Amino acid sequence: MSITTSSHAVVGTPLRPLRRGRDNCILGGVCGGFATRLGIKERNIRVMFALLTLIFGFGILLYMTFWLVLTRSGEEHSIIQQIFQNRREAQLVLVAFIATLILIITLQTTGTQTSDGFGWPLLLSGFASFAVWRGASIDERNHLTEFFNSAPLIGGAFSKSRKGFVLRLVVGAALIFVGLHQLHHIGGFWGSAGSAIVGTAVLVIGVLVLFAPWWLQNVRELTSERRERVRIEERARMVAHLHDSVLQTLTLIERAAANESDVVRLARNQERELRQWLFSPETSTDAPTSFVGLVGAIEHDVENDYGVRVELVTVGDCVPDDRVVTLVAAGREAAINAAKWSEAASVSIFTEVEPTTISIFVRDRGVGFNLDAIPADRQGIALSIRQRMGQLGGKTFINAAVGSGTEVELVMPRSL
Amino acid sequence: MTESHRPRVFLVDDHELIRAGIRAEIADSVDIVGEADEVEAAIEMILERTPDVVLLDVHMPDGGGQAVLRAVGEHDTTTRFLALSVSDASADVISVIRAGARGYVTKNISGPDLVDAIYRIAAGDVVFSPRLAGFVLDAFSTGQDDQPVVIADPDLDQLTARERQVLRLIARGYSYKDIAKELTISTKTVESHVSSVLRKLQLSSRYQLSHWASERHLN
Repeated sequence: MSITTSSHAVVGTPLRPLRRGRDNCILGGVCGGFATRLGIKERNIRVMFALLTLIFGFGILLYMTFWLVLTRSGEEHSIIQQIFQNRREAQLVLVAFIATLILIITLQTTGTQTSDGFGWPLLLSGFASFAVWRGASIDERNHLTEFFNSAPLIGGAFSKSRKGFVLRLVVGAALIFVGLHQLHHIGGFWGSAGSAIVGTAVLVIGVLVLFAPWWLQNVRELTSERRERVRIEERARMVAHLHDSVLQTLTLIERAAANESDVVRLARNQERELRQWLFSPETSTDAPTSFVGLVGAIEHDVENDYGVRVELVTVGDCVPDDRVVTLVAAGREAAINAAKWSEAASVSIFTEVEPTTISIFVRDRGVGFNLDAIPADRQGIALSIRQRMGQLGGKTFINAAVGSGTEVELVMPRSL
Repeated sequence: MTESHRPRVFLVDDHELIRAGIRAEIADSVDIVGEADEVEAAIEMILERTPDVVLLDVHMPDGGGQAVLRAVGEHDTTTRFLALSVSDASADVISVIRAGARGYVTKNISGPDLVDAIYRIAAGDVVFSPRLAGFVLDAFSTGQDDQPVVIADPDLDQLTARERQVLRLIARGYSYKDIAKELTISTKTVESHVSSVLRKLQLSSRYQLSHWASERHLN
């Protein structure tokens, strides 16, 4: 058994305090709460409440009362307390309560109340569910919305399911039948039922006129509240990102202020990362699943490791295969070479994906070299690039001259 | 306008620090005739002072650089615009060029390069950064993938082979002079190719241009 309060009933072990259940709840968690408190199976408590309901709806009223006064597990206040913390909510709920009382008294005195006596507990329960909705915490509201959305009778998404349709049909037909039966009791439509229906309709309209402004305002508040929440979440995401990236980098820059090349490298790194985040969040370099993603990684690594700025321009994209990976590896060698030996401040990389070929151009405007004058033992890198490209049918051209920089052109045919 | 004439430059940017930085870098080589930090003031002062070149920030409140371009464009002026931005999102670049800017550079451009760009804009040339050239190639790609390309006006909706070549070289980091040498044509011819690309960029009704999305098509 866990040390903290268990969220489920442990049979035979009563647990304090009495709280409405969060994990073992269906609607409000009242039964679950009692089960945990008393150490009885949830099911038994639920059966008991259901049986109590048969006595003039007493079970439902009891349930609603507990729902209002018991604090939900993990929360600070009960629903009643939450309502009374907010003056406007308290007023609204009080008005609803008085309206319910008036309705009950009217029904009692006019004698419309049928002998079965279900009327007033149901009306009070109806009021209580209104109060629950007004006072519930955001978390509980979400739970309830979810519950009602998945309930087969109310949820809109259920029209497609056959089972839901049948259930809806049966329950609907049964209710209509009971209603007609009741009307028949009081003399059929052309007897006193007609005036009863008219009376009810007028009553409903009256209630609507009284409460519509409130209700509309509440709906509006709810939507604006939701919008506000979305905005806050969005902001939180933004703040988290800025904190993790930009703020950290700024701190690093402050500490490295004396070292110019470090500052440039850090700033450039952050700039690239922020750009990526702002303008192309879908092409993350973390998991390069595209040619452009792979080439982006070259830009990142060369700038980081050699402090040379890389000017990357890409045209078109494709899914990487063996040839693409080889091509990119060759491009990386060429870019690193340029960064290491050219003494240029920046290296340009241009890639283009065409229907039949993919090419990478790596260019610097550095010191350059005379291709023929290089001793054979220094040609290792150029040779390895050439060989690897050649094995897969690719071509390598190196264009270099002393004083005017170097350009390496890599062309790979596309796999079909 | 003679070549020795220093261009009269106007700065539009809502960030004081950026304006100060740019001013410090170019003040020795050009005449700065004014600055503005908001759209409305910029429009008014540009029309009043008719500078040769306006350095225009793309992102500003109240419509940004595009609002300035549109408002000034309604009048008959000789003023030319060079867009300056921190972003190289394709949508930004293409839309500001289509609104009438004659060039586009990012704010991390070096001082001498910026001065060079201003002089070229003032002389009537077009300034394409390598990245802009890449965007244009992408936008005018022949559509080898599954999406068909509707060519309404071949003169405007397609690039010639030569224009493509020039753009590729720009994207590879070549200067106009390098390009002229590589293709054995004159620098003036390179410039006319680029100007013609700019015209197509502004007037073409290609879908990729009007509905530019930064996503790349994978196949």
